[in-house]
Amino acid sequence: MVIDRRKALLFGSATTLRLLLFFAFPSLPDLLTGRVEISTPVTSFKRLQEGLFLYTHNVSPYDGGVFHQAPLLLSLFALIPSSLFSPLTSLLYIALDLLCANALIQIAESGEAGSSRLFTSPRNELKWDGIAIGAAYLFNPFTIATCIGRPISVFTNCAILYAIAKAVSGKPMSSILALGLASYLSLYPILLLPPLILLCYDRQARDKKETPPISTFAIKYTSLFFATKVWFLYISNILTGGSWEFISSTYSVQLLLPDLTPNMGLWWYFFIEMFDSFREFFLGVFWLHLGGYVGGLCIRVRRQPLFIITTLLGIFAIFKPYPSLSDTSLYFAMLPLYRHIFPLMRYTFFAMATILYASLLGPAFYYLWIYAGSGNANFFYAITLVWSLGLSEIVADSLFAVLRDEWEVERPEMKGKDVRQI
Amino acid sequence: MMAPGTEVGEGDRDYRLTLPAKSSKKPPPELSEGIRVRGLVIVSFWAVVIFLGLPVWLWTTSIHRARLPLQEMLDWADGKACKPTFPLQIAIEAPLLQDAEAAHLVHMTQHALDDLNEFSAHHLRLRLAKSLSSPSRRNASIPESQDLDIGQVFQSYEDLDDRDDSALTVRLRAQDGIQAARSALQSHSTILDVAYAPNQIPSVSSSSSALATFIANRLQELFAEEQAIIAYILSQSAAGIQSTSHSPYVSPATASGSREIRSRPNRLINPEMAARLASRMTRSLKYAPTYHITMSLFTPSASPSSWQIESALAEYLTPLLDSISAVSNFTVDTQVQLYATFSPSVHAPEHDADHGVWTLQEEDLSGFINAAEWPLSPSIGAGPTLNFVLYVPDQTTSPLVVKGSQASSWLIPQWGGVVILNAQDANTTSVGSTLSKEAIRPALLTFSHQLLSFLGAPQTPPSLPLQLQTLTRIRAASLLLSASSTMGSLARLTVALPSIAIPETVSTAVDTTLSHLRYTCNALKEGKFPEALENARIAEAEAERGFFEKSMVGQVYFPDEHKVAVYLPLLGPVGVPLIMSALKELKRMWASRKAQ
Repeated sequence: MVIDRRKALLFGSATTLRLLLFFAFPSLPDLLTGRVEISTPVTSFKRLQEGLFLYTHNVSPYDGGVFHQAPLLLSLFALIPSSLFSPLTSLLYIALDLLCANALIQIAESGEAGSSRLFTSPRNELKWDGIAIGAAYLFNPFTIATCIGRPISVFTNCAILYAIAKAVSGKPMSSILALGLASYLSLYPILLLPPLILLCYDRQARDKKETPPISTFAIKYTSLFFATKVWFLYISNILTGGSWEFISSTYSVQLLLPDLTPNMGLWWYFFIEMFDSFREFFLGVFWLHLGGYVGGLCIRVRRQPLFIITTLLGIFAIFKPYPSLSDTSLYFAMLPLYRHIFPLMRYTFFAMATILYASLLGPAFYYLWIYAGSGNANFFYAITLVWSLGLSEIVADSLFAVLRDEWEVERPEMKGKDVRQI
Repeated sequence: MMAPGTEVGEGDRDYRLTLPAKSSKKPPPELSEGIRVRGLVIVSFWAVVIFLGLPVWLWTTSIHRARLPLQEMLDWADGKACKPTFPLQIAIEAPLLQDAEAAHLVHMTQHALDDLNEFSAHHLRLRLAKSLSSPSRRNASIPESQDLDIGQVFQSYEDLDDRDDSALTVRLRAQDGIQAARSALQSHSTILDVAYAPNQIPSVSSSSSALATFIANRLQELFAEEQAIIAYILSQSAAGIQSTSHSPYVSPATASGSREIRSRPNRLINPEMAARLASRMTRSLKYAPTYHITMSLFTPSASPSSWQIESALAEYLTPLLDSISAVSNFTVDTQVQLYATFSPSVHAPEHDADHGVWTLQEEDLSGFINAAEWPLSPSIGAGPTLNFVLYVPDQTTSPLVVKGSQASSWLIPQWGGVVILNAQDANTTSVGSTLSKEAIRPALLTFSHQLLSFLGAPQTPPSLPLQLQTLTRIRAASLLLSASSTMGSLARLTVALPSIAIPETVSTAVDTTLSHLRYTCNALKEGKFPEALENARIAEAEAERGFFEKSMVGQVYFPDEHKVAVYLPLLGPVGVPLIMSALKELKRMWASRKAQ
């Protein structure tokens, strides 16, 4: 009961804070909705409203070339009565945040981060409990800004967190379904499928003490995943009146990057500058670069599948086509699960300083470029480079720390000593 | 920008830890498990590169070059595929002659014509018309009471159609009391009336006839200008070929061959004629499928402030535009501009007391249009714009004419025409500040003449339908040549720049162009000129579309060195760790195999 009371207190205070921000500062949601750091062309709440307007007026929402989001979201938001649209969507997004936090708490309490089937960290005792991790998520300013700005990536994040939570509680079926939803909403989570299957497999093998061969397990759940996806697409097809038009305006927009609105990522500037004839080639290169890490990580960190997912989420936050603060907040939600490796990280101060520097200067440089006119695109692009540098520093450093943690099991006599990579 | 990412990749790959260098202790040997994992990781990265990266590279950067019929295109450009000929059918109606007589006359006239004609591509073919009157003449022997049966009516319709095919109809009429034959061209139809004295009819046995010679001379005279223009166009195109003959595909022999073919018409045109034609060509506008006509009323004062242009256009200009619509389409808009002043560089009109007129200096005419202040837009939409300006001078400086020639209208090459409408002409018909339809009639008639000369219509013969027919042939010829030379340029471009992409659309456009060029050439040979023009227009449009295909032009200036600059900055940071780790791993495998 003690834990429940703490949880209730956490959720209550997080809700209060968000309600306060929503209703005491009525202009804040619209301000944040318009920020490029929060709303990308594929997740923007404004575009969702546009699509919703068209949808409720019986016009195909994909006609205008503005709306790039999945059709299921339309039918969800169409349920909300328009007279109470703003307050009810606020409540919906608050509820989503709480759901995310709940999933995180489940993941934390499963203890998967410190001790998986194949590996138990020698620093296992050093960890934060679920409530603390939930609080770190709920009171993260990035998360709060994302919640107020209401991008639809919150739905994706929630689905990903639930996929992980179900996986660590030994329910592979629901886990894969949740991942299917996530990748239906925004394509890229499909790359999480291999580590998630590994995670499900490890968890099931540990709990049931009987191990089916991993290949049959993988085939079974991969086909389940694709069946889920096809089912979602089929439902969408029915919802949009039997047309497949939505595929080209949702998934191919993410794949082919036709909208080069500035965002925090690295793609937009590059593709503005790129010669047209090389555009397709470099789209391929960028996507392969994003996907290329999956195989290497799955092999190298095979013993800690949850960490593969965490690192991939970090990589997505840097290298995916339309990244936003909500992707960063998801990575920062998963990272505290690895409290025990923090002492092994070497550049925490540098990385955190870079992140802070970029998050303060980013909006300023954007303002200089777009509104004041005294800067240019390079200003903003430079600061997004710094931001990505900070994030990749954290990703690389945490990877180093986890590998060193594994290595110390192999060679206990090296604990606490300085090491060097050769 | 890839550096942070590759660090992640490298970090998990080359992960081996050891003591700091100051400790001299050797690191313990790696576990075989570690080596195996590292190998797998390297393989997994390389698998992505080889199985996904390479196909993507090949697929996205391959240059799609659709097959083009290069040789055929060059043949067209060199004039080897088609030698345009212009056989003009001329019908001779001789209702009063016996068939044999008439045939003999036609035969002799044809002989005389062939002797006169030096330009073989353009020749006149005479034939005896089964004219409407001739069957009825024969029917005259049939009793009057018998009605014409249906078949005969059809027959006469076919005759009508037959006549449509011919460029000109010569109607022979016997007239008593004249010494020599005389002729009159009807100005609104394609009929040449020839009156002859009845005794001029050559007998079937005679070998020469004054009448035949007269008709031949007259016909040759009528079509002399057209022949000259066509010869000029053909020789211009031959000159164009000579200047481009240093292309890899045209060997010197073929180039000189084509020159020989084309240089024959040159003899036809004397230098004076050539200069006249050249100046006319520079004056007329480049062909376009659509022209915009802007009719403007300019006045330096407040009146007249309106004109009945809509009805005037409908009455005086639209019929002309309709009849040229086979050649080009036109859109017309109108505007009125009050208080339009001259540009400062133009001298103010001077009073000429002798004639009681105000005069403009001739050298000022080119600056008469105040381009800075008068709202005459250079071009609206796709086609070129023709500006026709009606200038109504102020009461105080009226009448206004050009000094010397006393003319009140002139034409600005490639741009449009100007007419000064002097008030005393206008006063009679204008009501208040509105220019009536009748007042602007003379101006519109001048504009119509100017329009025809902008389109490149010949000055002679005086019959408008004949002029339009000539225009059809001239346009068909010049479009045929222009589309052919575009084909040649496209073929040479394709050969010269092996790195440009040739999309399917270009190949389709080339095919369409070539097939329509063939139709045009055949239609010209058969004397079906409207059909030839129609096909030539399609060919020209398609040729231009193919040549100026956007995706093709984009890559023209992209040398191979630039590709290094494109690939290296991005792929370098990714490639170096990938290649280095692969080499290291291979070295290690080599060493371990050697050790065994």
